[in-house]
Amino acid sequence: MYQSDSEGWASSKDLRSHLGHLESELRFLSTLTGISIRNYSMKTEDLTNTEKKEKSIMKVLQRHRLSGNCRMITFQLEFQILEIQNKESLSSVITDLNIIMEPTEYSELSEFVSRAEERRDLLMFFRSLHFFVEWCEYRKRTFEHFKERSGPARRGVTSLQPVVCRDWEAETKRLHSRDWSQDQCTKEKYPAAVHLPEGAASSCMAVRSTCQPGFELVIVWRVQIDEEGKVLPKLDLLPKAPQQALKLDRNRVLETAPLSFRALLGTLGIEAALESLIKSLCTADYD
Amino acid sequence: MEWANDGKTRGGVLAHLERLEIQVNRSRKNLEDLQRAQAVESALGTKIHKLRCLRDELRAEAKQRQARVKASTVNVEPDQTPEISEQEVAKRRKENVKAILQAYRFTGLSGKLTSRGVCVCISTAFEGNLLDSYFIDLVIQKPLRIHHHSIPVFIPLEELSAKYLQTNIQHFLFCLCEYLNAYAGRKYQADRLQSDFAAFLAGPLRRNSLCNLLSFTYKVEPRGQSFPFCARLLYKDLTTALPTDVTVTYQGKRKYCTFCSHD
Repeated sequence: MYQSDSEGWASSKDLRSHLGHLESELRFLSTLTGISIRNYSMKTEDLTNTEKKEKSIMKVLQRHRLSGNCRMITFQLEFQILEIQNKESLSSVITDLNIIMEPTEYSELSEFVSRAEERRDLLMFFRSLHFFVEWCEYRKRTFEHFKERSGPARRGVTSLQPVVCRDWEAETKRLHSRDWSQDQCTKEKYPAAVHLPEGAASSCMAVRSTCQPGFELVIVWRVQIDEEGKVLPKLDLLPKAPQQALKLDRNRVLETAPLSFRALLGTLGIEAALESLIKSLCTADYD
Repeated sequence: MEWANDGKTRGGVLAHLERLEIQVNRSRKNLEDLQRAQAVESALGTKIHKLRCLRDELRAEAKQRQARVKASTVNVEPDQTPEISEQEVAKRRKENVKAILQAYRFTGLSGKLTSRGVCVCISTAFEGNLLDSYFIDLVIQKPLRIHHHSIPVFIPLEELSAKYLQTNIQHFLFCLCEYLNAYAGRKYQADRLQSDFAAFLAGPLRRNSLCNLLSFTYKVEPRGQSFPFCARLLYKDLTTALPTDVTVTYQGKRKYCTFCSHD
C-alpha cells in the first residue's frame, strides 16, 4: 500500500513538471507567432474500403476544430483534411474550411474570410491575419501618437527634419517597433486639434487647425487585403475648407491635395507625411 | 269512485305524481353523488396510503446511504481522493496542450523548444494542398542567430534576417513564411502543368530553381494541327504565386503584348 502511494506521488510530480514544460512551450509559441490557440480537437474517419486496400491505397478523413485569438480578433475554425496514401506518396488536401471571426467591425475582414474559405487556404488565412493585425496596431499607435501630441503651440521649439527615403514600405515596416516614448527631442505640441472619429481603432484621423477652425484635413487609412492575401495600407487625404477659401484658391492646392498627399507618402513615409501635414495647417504659429 | 270532472283533483293527482317523480329523481341523484364521492374518497385514501409507504421507504434508504457514506469516509485517507482527481485533470490538460502544440502547424508556424532556443517549422500549402515544410533552428542569444536551417538557397534568407531578425522576429518569420509559401505554390503549379497538361506541351517545361521564370511551348488542341505558341511567365514578386509578366509569341512574332497583373 505504501509503495503504490510513493509511486503515485512520484509520477504525479513528473506529470506536473512535464505539464509545466509543455505549457511554457505553448506560451512561447503563442508569443513567437502572435497567435494564441486555446482549443483544438480532431476526429479521424477511415475511408479505406476493400477495393482500395487491394491497391494499397489508404484514405483517411480528419475533422479538425480549432479556436483562439490573434490579439483583439478571435477565430473559430472547422476544417477537414483528406489524406490519401498510395505506394508513391502521401497527399493531404484541405477539403472543407469554415471560419468564424470576431469582432466583425473590421469590415475588410469579412470579404477576406469568404475568399479564404472558398480557396480552402488555411495557411494564407493565418498569414494575412497576422499582417492585418500588425498594420492595424501600427495605425492605432500612429494615430494615438499624433492625438497625444496635439494641442496649443509652445514657443521656441525645433521642428523635425523630414526623413527622405525611397523604400517607404520597408521604412514604415521597420518603424513599427520604434518606441515613441524615447522621443525626447520632439516633445513639442502641434498647434492643431486631432480627433479620432471612430474611437481608438479608428480608420481615419481628423485634423483641425486651432487658429483657422474652418479648415479640416481627414486622413483615411484603410488596411486592405487583396485577392492573393497580401495586406497593404491605403491612405487618402480628404481636405475640407470654407467656400470662401475655395474661391481664393487660385493654385488649386485643395483640389490637388489628395494626389499630392500620395506623392508625399511615397517620399517621406507614413509618419513623416502625417507630421508635415499636421504642421502645414498652422505655419503662422511657428515663430 | 266517481270520475269527478274535477280539474283540481285531476291536476292535483298528476301534480302529486310529478312531485313524487321529482322526489325520486332527486333522491336517486343524491345517492349517485354520494356513491361517487365515496369512490373518490376511497381512491384518495389509497393514494395517501401509497405515498406514505413510499415516503417511509425513501427515508429508510436515505438513512442507509448516510450510514454507508459515513462508514466509507472513515476507511479512506482524506488527502488521497483530491490528489487522484488532480492527476486526472493534469493528465487531461497535458493531452490538450500536446494537441494544441501539434495544431500550430496549421497556422504556418510551429516549433519546439531546444536547449539553445527554438526550432521553428514553417509549413507550406497551395489552394488547400498541404506541401513541404521547412525548419529554421534559432539560437536565443544576443544577437539572435540561425544555427541551421533547411531553407532553399534561392530564398533571400540573409536579406530578411538582416532586416528583421534582430528587431522583429515575428515579422521575420511571417515574411519567410510568405516567401516559402509563394515558392511552394509556384513549384506546385509548374509540377501540375508538367504532369497534368503534358498532352498540350510541345516541348519540355523550362524553369529556374525559384520557379519564377517559366518558358514552354504549347498547343491549344492536344492532337491536331493547331499552331504552337511560346509562353514565357515571369513572377517578379517573389511573395506571390501569380505571374507579373506574361508573353505569348507565335513563330517569333509577339501575338499578345506583355501585361502586368499588378500595378
